[in-house]
Amino acid sequence: MNFLLEKQLNLLDYALASLWRRKLKNLGIMSVFAGVICLVASFQFLTASLTATAQDLLAEAPEIVVQQMSAGRQEALPLSYLSSLEELNGVRTVAPRIWGYYFSEISGANYTVLAVDPSVMPKGDRLFQAVEGQLPSGPGEAVLGSGVAADLKLAGRRSFSLFRPDLTLKPMQMVGVFKPDTDLLTADLIYTTPDAARDLFAIPADHCTDLCVYVANPREIGTIAKKISVILPGTRVLTRPQISQTYRVVFGWRSGFASICLLSALAAFVILAWDKASGLSAEEKREIAILKVLGWQTGDILLLRCWESLIAAGLAWLLGCTAAYLHVFWLGGALFKPVMLGWSVIHPQLRLLPVVSTADLLLIFTMSVVPYLAATVIPAWRAAITPPDAAIR
Amino acid sequence: MRPSLLLALLLLAIGILDVGLLLQSGQQRAAWPVRMASAGIATEALGLTDLCIATEARYTRHPAVSDPLAPFMDHPGGLEHFPTGSFWAYPWQHLRGASL
Repeated sequence: MNFLLEKQLNLLDYALASLWRRKLKNLGIMSVFAGVICLVASFQFLTASLTATAQDLLAEAPEIVVQQMSAGRQEALPLSYLSSLEELNGVRTVAPRIWGYYFSEISGANYTVLAVDPSVMPKGDRLFQAVEGQLPSGPGEAVLGSGVAADLKLAGRRSFSLFRPDLTLKPMQMVGVFKPDTDLLTADLIYTTPDAARDLFAIPADHCTDLCVYVANPREIGTIAKKISVILPGTRVLTRPQISQTYRVVFGWRSGFASICLLSALAAFVILAWDKASGLSAEEKREIAILKVLGWQTGDILLLRCWESLIAAGLAWLLGCTAAYLHVFWLGGALFKPVMLGWSVIHPQLRLLPVVSTADLLLIFTMSVVPYLAATVIPAWRAAITPPDAAIR
Repeated sequence: MRPSLLLALLLLAIGILDVGLLLQSGQQRAAWPVRMASAGIATEALGLTDLCIATEARYTRHPAVSDPLAPFMDHPGGLEHFPTGSFWAYPWQHLRGASL
């Protein structure tokens, strides 16, 4: 047992010395490899974390959302639908929402303007807990998301104006700001009264943007959603499970940027593996031949190569994954942020739930270390079985 | 000093760092429900459906409730041109295949 351990330690020492002899090349390969692993792992950590955060924060999203569709687009929905839905068995509450986007010509930012009557919403009586200040009640009063408040540059003022569709000014009054902890949901939000939102968007008094439907028994969400789509043809009915599943898919490996990252990582790796697999250098072949002349067996040489590859790839994997964690959860995914936020003017603070699963780490290990081992050991085996005198010549 | 000992020391240093990060992430996860309580209230009380990450296009601001063809429907032949469109995949298969 001691002999076997001593042999492996000696082989490890020799492998490390061999790596150090060609330190420039090996450190270069390791750095590039660690960088590629860091990129892939960062993406995996970020998407897993965003998905987990979405699952957690949106667990209490509306049970059913009903939208009116016309010519393939969403449009305002008549409030007369409200009574049809309230008559359905199993429906607890129906809450009309008025919401839409407001583009600020000054800063180029997009705000989301939302109005809902909190008295008909679940936990509406506790909304004040998410707000610093008051809730809107009077005409034109609004609670602003932190991003909107910063973008409007109010500098101590409370009043601001927004343009209606006919370019007349709608005076607004800030009465509160959403707490920073809600930033991931409310950074671009202007929450106001239904009357003010209707006035701003020129939505008729008998219309709203969509309806939130809450049911008595959550297990009946699917059944009631089907009934709604039958009694209100021309509407799109979205359920909470669908909303929740959206975020499992939207950040998936199929998203475009992920493909680019993966392709670039894979391309870099293929080049590396091809370089290794295309054959050892003359110097490396001579070294193997000398080792065989000195009495090393083919198995010993393969073990040596395994150690060399395992040290290089294993260290690259460890460093890459550690760097990816720091990048995503300490630096807020700084490398991906420009692509993830695009031309957004309002940048919410990414407070993400740190999620690193063993499955992700094993997936990255399997994608990186195992192929590298195979790509380096096979040419070493081919060199080790050639006669030493032929290799030295 | 044997080279293998140096490697062991290096691995130990990285291991200590990783264990520290793991413990810190555990603490953050434990504190998450308390820290995000007000976000949960906002979601329920306002009927929010989406995370506010990218605000440049409606289909990346509200992927859960935006039109299925939003990236291409601004005008006939309109192409998707927002940078975030390359990061966010529209859940086509999910919405097509999902049962109500």
